Amino acid sequence: MLTFFDPLRQFTFGSVVLRLLLALVSGGVIGYGRSRKNCAAGLRTYMLISLGAALAITVTLYEYQMLHSTWADIVAVVGDKFDATRLASQAVTGIGFLGAGTILKVAHQQVKGLTTATGLFATVCMSLAAGAGFYECVITVLLLIVLVLNIMTPLEIGFKRRLRNITLNVQMDSVEDVAAVSEAIEAQNATIYETDVEKVKSPASAIFILQMSRSNSSHSGMLSSVAELACVRSVQELIS
Amino acid sequence: MLSFFDPLRGMDYLSVLVRLLTATLCGTAIGIERSMKNRPAGFRTHILVCLGSAVAAVTAHFIYLVLQMPADVTRLGGQVITGLGFIGAGTIIVTKKMSIKGLTTAAGLWTTGIIGLAIGSGFYEGGLLGTVLVLLTEASLAKLSARIQPDPKFALELLYNDKDALNAMMRYCKDKHMNILGLQIHTQEDEGAAYAAYAATVKLAGNLKAAELIEQLSKMPGIVLVYED
Repeated sequence: MLTFFDPLRQFTFGSVVLRLLLALVSGGVIGYGRSRKNCAAGLRTYMLISLGAALAITVTLYEYQMLHSTWADIVAVVGDKFDATRLASQAVTGIGFLGAGTILKVAHQQVKGLTTATGLFATVCMSLAAGAGFYECVITVLLLIVLVLNIMTPLEIGFKRRLRNITLNVQMDSVEDVAAVSEAIEAQNATIYETDVEKVKSPASAIFILQMSRSNSSHSGMLSSVAELACVRSVQELIS
Repeated sequence: MLSFFDPLRGMDYLSVLVRLLTATLCGTAIGIERSMKNRPAGFRTHILVCLGSAVAAVTAHFIYLVLQMPADVTRLGGQVITGLGFIGAGTIIVTKKMSIKGLTTAAGLWTTGIIGLAIGSGFYEGGLLGTVLVLLTEASLAKLSARIQPDPKFALELLYNDKDALNAMMRYCKDKHMNILGLQIHTQEDEGAAYAAYAATVKLAGNLKAAELIEQLSKMPGIVLVYED
């Protein structure tokens, strides 16, 4: 590891202050970007969990120091069962639960909040490194997380817009119209993989999972040709 | 570490009392700040979380240092962190608009619990420092956090009676480098004439104003009505 950081790896009050502040600031950097995107977890959420995770590690280091100084004679008698990764491992589990609370099922086979949950998880893991004094790891991971959350998002959206596989949620007058909708989709040379009637009563609704043809792969073209049918009340593309 | 805390790191009654009282005080300080904002978890909740965590840490020390039974002194504390994750998940609310509320409260409770563990273990420096940093984060950043403007997103709904109008509008958005994030088409009848309505969420690019976008779209042939949602 970089020897440059070695003086800061000692467990002193100064280095604890530095580690907690590093965790707080790194969490803030990630959280700021998330706040800008109006995500469920924003600046303060990220800062708080980063601080908590880093503090959990410093508590472990404190216990270890005490077991090897003030309490050394007790340890010699009772035995050493101390596990330096215990608190950290539970922090990972705990934040997993918290993240699970942010995941919502919004529609057919669609969830929201998965990136928030995984973002919190990665941030906690980064802050564990901060609390342990693994500074080079924190800086590297911070850069990577910011890169993934900010630069990859437009890439992913752009990619999904160009996909030939799409999911349509169609509302129509009655269930009998499913056949007419299927025909309209197939008239665009698309292949329907799955038709799932969700609601039978009027207005009936169904989910179509389909692949558009290579030559005719405009999402809006598909939507408008389905919407043109008289029996169709609404068409919506579901994007995960 | 700071040596003036050293007399309070042992397992005598005075030290335990000081730890539990300090945990109560720190929980109160964080909780009062949350209560003032009328959040679901008020100061009693925060005191209980902080005190409970401190008791767990102190008990683990008691078992190992006083009863001298073989144990990992951090095991109880670790489960506290997991347990608070559960409690936190329960404070998260899903609103009717399918968005999340209460995540900051959940994160705050989780961190308060870890502060309680630090104090209960006799790591006063960590506990107090954590409390100060939480208070600074909550108090000073609440204003800053409210001032961060999310990237402008704009929900647009337009009525058109001509398929070409939709294509023209899509082309317009593409030319202006605007990302269409969602798309919904439905037909509606109005005074005998059938219209197709198109709802889209677009991300405004550059310095294009919402009013300008509406004006430009309204001018397009075949488009009957454009409005901001």
